[in-house]
Formats: sequence, C-alpha cells, structure tokens
Amino acid sequence: MKISLFITIIVLSGALAGVSLGLVNLAIVEPYLDTAIGIENQNLFASGEEEDTPEFWANYYSYRVWQKGGQLLAGAILGTSLGTLFGIVFAYSKNSLPGKSMIKKALVLSLIMWATLYVIPFAKYPANPPTVGDPETIILRQSLYLAFMAISGLGALGFYQVYKKINKKAIAFVGYGVMMVATFFVMPPNPDPVQIDSGLLMGFRVTSMIGMSVFWGVVAIILGALWQKTTPDRTAQAKYQ
Amino acid sequence: MILYIGWIILELKYIHLNLTCMSQSKEIAISKSSVPKIAIIALAAIFVLGMFVVGFDQGHIFSVVFGEQAFDEMYIHELTHDMRHAAGFPCH
Repeated sequence: MKISLFITIIVLSGALAGVSLGLVNLAIVEPYLDTAIGIENQNLFASGEEEDTPEFWANYYSYRVWQKGGQLLAGAILGTSLGTLFGIVFAYSKNSLPGKSMIKKALVLSLIMWATLYVIPFAKYPANPPTVGDPETIILRQSLYLAFMAISGLGALGFYQVYKKINKKAIAFVGYGVMMVATFFVMPPNPDPVQIDSGLLMGFRVTSMIGMSVFWGVVAIILGALWQKTTPDRTAQAKYQ
Repeated sequence: MILYIGWIILELKYIHLNLTCMSQSKEIAISKSSVPKIAIIALAAIFVLGMFVVGFDQGHIFSVVFGEQAFDEMYIHELTHDMRHAAGFPCH
C-alpha cells in the first residue's frame, strides 16, 4: 500500500467534506444561530451586563463575522477528524462491505457511521442552539456526549465482530440495539433545561441534522471516488500477484 | 518395486511443493489486505486532535503556552463555536 497516497486521500476527502459541511451550515444553520444569539444579547441588556449601544453592535457584528469564518475552519478540522476515522474503518472493512464500486461501499459504511456516531447520540443528547447550555455544566455535557458517541461506535465495532462469527446475523443487531437502549436509560440526561421557542429549537435541530447528513454523504462519495481512481493498495497487488 | 518407491518419492515432493505454494499464497493475501500501522497511528492522532479541538477544548490547548488566561479567553472554543452547535456538540 502507498502510505502517503493512502493518508492523503483520506485527509483530503475529510477536509473537503468538512468545508462542505461549513458551507451548508452557513447557509441553513446560521440564521437560527443568529436568532438564538440575539436572544442572548437581549438577556444581557435586560440583566444590565451589557448596554444596547452602537458600539456594542459594531463589536458584535465584527465578532460574528469572525465566528462565521471559524465555521469553515472548524468544518475543515472536524471533517478531517471524522474523515480519518472513516478512512481507517473503510480501509479495514471495504472488502466485506456490499456494493460493486468503492463509492457504493463507502456510502454503505457512511450510513452505518452516520447512524452510530451521529443519529443515535443525537437521540439522547440532541443539538441545542446558543442560550440553552449553562457554561457551568459544559465539561459534564461534553463528556457525556463524547462518551455516548464512543459507546455507540465501539459497540457497533464489537457487534460487527460478533456478526462475522455467528450464523444468526440478527443476534448481532439485536445485541447492539439492547446495549444502546440500556445505555440510553443508564446515562444521565442533559442537566440544562431547554427553555426557548419550540420553532427555533426544531428548526435548528432539523438544519443541524441536514448539515451532518450532507457531511457523511459527501465524505463517502469523495473517498470512494478517490480510492477507486488512485487505488492506494495497487502496489501490493502488482508486486505479489 | 524400485519404480514404485521412486513414484512415491516424486508424489511426496509434489505434495510438498503444493503445500509450499499454498503457504506462499496465504502470505500474499495478507500482504494485499494489510493496512500500514504507521498510517493508522497518524490518522488516529489526527482524529483525536480534531475531535478535541472542535468538540472539547475550553482553552486547554492554548493554556500550554498562555497559562490560565487561555481558559478565560477560550480562543478555540469561540472560533469553533458555530460549528460546535451545528454539529451537535454541547456548547453554551
């Protein structure tokens, strides 16, 4: 296997998909973020922590432009991060994934990883816009969310090993389902109350899910296409066949 | 009898050759499917670092250079703020 090519196509596919995620978020999630931050600002004015002055708004708009630029940078970082995990799993599992082309195989895997690493954790700890989270509980909430992601991801990996070894394949799916239902009820809920307009909350969550779904689809298509085009494992085949 | 023994010896050599070839073909199969460990380590490091930056950092990384001030400014948290919310990570 060509190591540099292998790493390059994985990092590139993750970064490009991450930038796509950032662009989608700028288009459809940012309006909800702006609305929620607007509520935070009104709360700051009401509590006397800030004054509603032209200077405040000038600083605010400048700061928000910087943060929206950060959306793209953070998208590239997050995309590269998740893309590397996707690439590792794809490299090990591509031969056992269904589908004739690498793109189809990658899409099947991305569907599995989207479900286990995003949708299932989302069911327990759904995305919330600004104003919902208490800064005092952020470390706890981050730890719970990442722990739930890890349990779901590692659980899927473990039950995949079971799936390969047993004849009754359904047992592996049932086992994973039982484990995640138990985890769902055992792990503590989000400690912060959600007290914002339900329309804003639902709109934010739906657009958030659209963005992440686009990411998992795009990373699969790009990595599958690049793998098919460059075949990073071709050297070994030519040498040993 | 001598011819028969000679034939058996030839058969045994043929079987030995086949077994050798089988073991070689097994090695070839492993070579094709193996993923270099160094690449996995590098990619895993990128994964962990990226997840920490976007999903967890509250000033931890810059505190290595700027000390306690980094936890007050939370530069990376503020820069990745919108993506944290949009990607489903907990934030404030």
